[in-house]
Amino acid sequence: MTTPALELQHVAKVFRKDRDIVRAVDDVTLVVEKGEFITFLGPSGCGKTTTLRMIAGFELPTEGRILIGGRDMTNIPANKRGIGFVFQNYALFPHMSVFHNVAYGLKSRGEDPGRIREKVGNALELVGLAQAVHRYPNQLSGGEQQRVALARVLALEPSLLLMDEPLSNLDAKLRLHMRTEIRRLQKRLGITCIYVTHDQAEALTMADRIMVMQKGKVEQIGTPQEIYNHPRTLFVADFIGQANAIRLRTSGYADGKAWAKVPGGWQLAARTSGGTILEKGTEAALVIRPERIRLEADAQAAGTLAATVAAATFVGSHVEYELDLGEGNTLKATVPYDPNARLHQEGARVGVRIDQESALFIPIEAKQG
Amino acid sequence: MTAASASRIRRPSLALRDPALFFALVTLWLSLGLFIILPFLRLLQATFIKDGALTLANLVKVWGKAYNRRAFSGSIILATGVSLAGTLLAYLFALAVTRTHWPRWVRWLLSSITILPLISPPFTSSISLTLALGPNGMLLKALGLGELNFYGFWGTWLSETLTYFPVAFMVLAAILSAMDPNLDDAAFSLGASRRRMFWTVTVPLSMPGIANSLLLLFGSSLADFATPLILGGHKFPVLPTQAYLQITGMYDLRGGATLSVLLLLPALLVYGIQRWMIGRKSYVTVTGKSGARSNFATLPRGLEIAMVIVCGLVALFIAYLYFIILWGSAVRVWGVDNSFTMEHYAYVFTHGRKAITDTLKIGITSTVLGSLLAVVLGYLFQRFRFAGRKTMEFVSMLNYALPGTVVGIAYIIAFNEKPLLLTGTITILVAAYIFRYYATGIRSVMASLQQIDPSLEEASMSLGAGRVRTFMEVTVPLIIPAVLAGMRYLFIHSMTAISATIFLVSVRWTLLTTRILESMTELQFSQASAFSIVLIILVFIADIVMGWALRRSSLRFGTTQETSYDNTGA
Amino acid sequence: MKRLMLSLLLLAVAAPVLFAQQTLNVYTIMPEKYATKVFAAFTADTGIKVNFIRLSSGEALARIVAEKKNPQVDALWGGPADTYEAGILEGVFEQYKPREADAIPAKFRSAQNYWIGIGVIPLCFMSNAKFLKDKGLQPPTSWNDLLHPAYKGALQMADARTSGTATERIYTLVKIFGENEAFAYQKKLHQNIQLYTKSGAGGAMPIATGQAASGVFYIVDALDIQQQGYDVVISYPKEGVTYGVEAAGILKGARNLELAKKLMDWASSKRLGDVMMAEKINYIPTRPDVKVSNPALDMTQVKLIDTDIAWKGKNREAFVERFVNEVIQQ
Repeated sequence: MTTPALELQHVAKVFRKDRDIVRAVDDVTLVVEKGEFITFLGPSGCGKTTTLRMIAGFELPTEGRILIGGRDMTNIPANKRGIGFVFQNYALFPHMSVFHNVAYGLKSRGEDPGRIREKVGNALELVGLAQAVHRYPNQLSGGEQQRVALARVLALEPSLLLMDEPLSNLDAKLRLHMRTEIRRLQKRLGITCIYVTHDQAEALTMADRIMVMQKGKVEQIGTPQEIYNHPRTLFVADFIGQANAIRLRTSGYADGKAWAKVPGGWQLAARTSGGTILEKGTEAALVIRPERIRLEADAQAAGTLAATVAAATFVGSHVEYELDLGEGNTLKATVPYDPNARLHQEGARVGVRIDQESALFIPIEAKQG
Repeated sequence: MTAASASRIRRPSLALRDPALFFALVTLWLSLGLFIILPFLRLLQATFIKDGALTLANLVKVWGKAYNRRAFSGSIILATGVSLAGTLLAYLFALAVTRTHWPRWVRWLLSSITILPLISPPFTSSISLTLALGPNGMLLKALGLGELNFYGFWGTWLSETLTYFPVAFMVLAAILSAMDPNLDDAAFSLGASRRRMFWTVTVPLSMPGIANSLLLLFGSSLADFATPLILGGHKFPVLPTQAYLQITGMYDLRGGATLSVLLLLPALLVYGIQRWMIGRKSYVTVTGKSGARSNFATLPRGLEIAMVIVCGLVALFIAYLYFIILWGSAVRVWGVDNSFTMEHYAYVFTHGRKAITDTLKIGITSTVLGSLLAVVLGYLFQRFRFAGRKTMEFVSMLNYALPGTVVGIAYIIAFNEKPLLLTGTITILVAAYIFRYYATGIRSVMASLQQIDPSLEEASMSLGAGRVRTFMEVTVPLIIPAVLAGMRYLFIHSMTAISATIFLVSVRWTLLTTRILESMTELQFSQASAFSIVLIILVFIADIVMGWALRRSSLRFGTTQETSYDNTGA
Repeated sequence: MKRLMLSLLLLAVAAPVLFAQQTLNVYTIMPEKYATKVFAAFTADTGIKVNFIRLSSGEALARIVAEKKNPQVDALWGGPADTYEAGILEGVFEQYKPREADAIPAKFRSAQNYWIGIGVIPLCFMSNAKFLKDKGLQPPTSWNDLLHPAYKGALQMADARTSGTATERIYTLVKIFGENEAFAYQKKLHQNIQLYTKSGAGGAMPIATGQAASGVFYIVDALDIQQQGYDVVISYPKEGVTYGVEAAGILKGARNLELAKKLMDWASSKRLGDVMMAEKINYIPTRPDVKVSNPALDMTQVKLIDTDIAWKGKNREAFVERFVNEVIQQ
């Protein structure tokens, strides 16, 4: 087994704010293999950036250990960790030209001028900005600045590349383009990469694995598919993609499946999150992805729940419905748009067919972890 | 591989973890201890210890006199008045120079004229003010006004406001030009009127600068003894004057020290208020992301009219005051024989040559060392969290809060014995200037750092540069404007201040300012004027050199700092 | 950065260079323009160079006392004798009897040989001639003339807390009126005061330029203004004036003691008086055998009140206290 590129062992960061003790990061443990692309995903203030900054050495952890390439770096200052960091605001030195920005790290290392020129050239080539070498940051567009920031880091061939929401200041189109470009570069260079984002689409499309965080704690670590298909907690289910959650009490359990009576009167069986055994009468949320719901014009069709269409929104490739199940339960459904079929109008009675294979019971307590 | 999640990390000591920071802290504490804490303790000793025992007798005796209590309230009223009026005036000037579309030469003239009161010793302008507005004054006669009750609060207030507002102007102009004009556009696009935009965007974002300048002016006024001595008269006593008179007139070191201890209370209060105000908001407006910059929005019309009137009149008045001095230096006998002569200048360059060279040596040494120290301290205070940071910040500003007279006496007491035998040396003069006047430098460095996103420094660290390299190559170039503002202040004061150093000049090291005061007391007004003009020209030349250096250094920055400082340069 | 910090620290504690040259270091209370001429003559006579710096009497004494353990200078030159008396109490002066001390009348030198008088300066009134003409006034010839309402807000004279001139004024008034009456008089006089100045001569220029009308000065300052060409009138009160004795003395612990003694010897000789007469330095020489050439210094028509310097020194503080508490504060 090779040495992991990065290991976090029970890392915590505790702040003292006024009289309160704030655990900004709480007991984070993670092993990252070489060449992996990991994203930290979570809402703002969840501790993902703080964790990243601790890996970089900008903050020192209060508890736990950080190992980079097998070496304990917990107390090593940032400049001795050999890590590349790309900032949300790029942090280009405004008083230096593109060349000097990119050459900065190489100079710190004391490389000879010839080598520096060569490496700067290569790095700028890599990000497609070779022509901008003598310009200053304020003469570049946002996307160009982002590439310079990337080149500045890549020139050092870091063992570990950390990125803190690097695309959040770019426009949507450029963001999509940069996603693939970053991923392409990362694969080509084989760099281990940790990428912080609050944008789940970014996380899902780019990452090998995603670490979802909330309130300083790790909610779940897994591949995008795992996270999407098998969310461990209601939070993850809700944060990644969209999810309908119907609160229920289970009425039975067997073989990794639980069942419960859903509004409309019949029993619905579905997997339980992580195969957890749910005793009868457990309070749980039945989680259903909106895109795993189909609607039928006949509200009485077998195996469907009867519902009233509360709202229908056409968004191009698909139609978003809001459905009223009665008893205060609502569902969202995303249905592919079929130009040949008519939309269900507001107020219409429809039959809701749920893909039971993808539905999931998550016990309510699990939310507390 | 497993570690208990609750296990706290034992960190190596600071000396090992961050040797550069450790070394800097040790060195700084040694310097501060020697030149601030030690003299201060000796001062307190003189105040509170008598015959080896702790006593409040001195304090009780001093406070027991109604005249001293009046001096206390007088000091507070004066400092408040000067700080408010000076900041307001400075803000108007700063707006005029950085935010209007007035012709370039007008703005240049305005910023240049503010330099005049700064670069001359305070008592010089007091004298020309007396000649202009005092009893039988030239301006009063010219305007056909009768007697004006000039001596007392109003005269002192006017003179101090004119003398000290340029400091606030420098601080405010720097912060106003560092602001992002896009914010103006944003406010406009949100439907704000000019007036609303001014009050909701420009003013709130200037708050760090306004608080800073309020404090600076309050402190300057609180510590100034020369102006109230000349203009306050007996009707309006203030503490520094009382302390000075107590020491020089009554030979009562203890009484003077005690009076100055009373001055600490208001100084500390204002210092606390300022920290509280700034601590509540974060103003990060300079980031590594450079967007397109547009022009600042036009100011409200009413405000602009008020600015034209106020700035115009004040600028004219200052020019007039300095014309009096220039004229006085070139006439044979002031007020009697108005024929042109260069004999006073001849005197200055023969009998005054030593004072000129001494002053320059002392001024340059103080400026270089002091601004270096200010950058290091400002950087530490703003960017680092270390044990005793607050204490260190407080201590480093202490000499600034003490009246100069007392610092002078405290230095004499502290440095007159072996092994710290420094009286009569250049060291004691330089140290007095540095530790007293680097406060502006520290503050402007801190204010400037406050506006620079820390990610720039973190970027440098993560690119493998150590603390020192990061500091020298990233931080310093970005705060150069602030450093130069601090240097300017230090140099000007090292050349013109007198309150502390009048006790520290010696037969071997003398100063132009003492020569001017001397000429004044010897009734050689023309000679004093000639000395003043020479001093003003020297400082002015140095100022131009610094402005030139600033422009050169910021050329590489792109547009931001260059254009803004071009205006305040001169 | 480290290196810079280190050099900063080094400079901070750098040991001062010791005085090595054979020059005399002096604090002078005598105005610089006079001191320059007097010391130039001394150097010409003896070959001893003099480094000096001018201080007001209060500042000089404060510094000498503060520097007691490490005197920066060898002698104090000029300044009122009561400053010296105050210094004696602080133990800062060295006893030395100059060679020709006996030629100086005993009232013009220290009984214990701590200082010798180098000049005598009586008080006088100085008024702006134009002001007098405009108001139709005669130059004041009595202390009570200054109480005239025409002078309201127009008198400038020195503040007793800083100025020897001012304390001299109080001594005169106490000698003439008695202590309580003297302060009652000053309270009345206060109504006419425009400003109390820091230095004794501080009010002279304002009077010369017409900002103020009149004031009380030492003759040396008043004559100086007149010699510069300003249109002022000098007069004396018929009740009389006291006079200040300008002194000189050696400091205890002087590093150039022998040179300082030579200065005192020279100061006690007739030579000093002759130099002052030749250079138009308006002190009345303490040696009776110096020929006074300047008619303005002819004191035969002026009533001079003798005062004991020890009495001045003893009462000074109390008088200043009363001045602050009763006159200024009213």
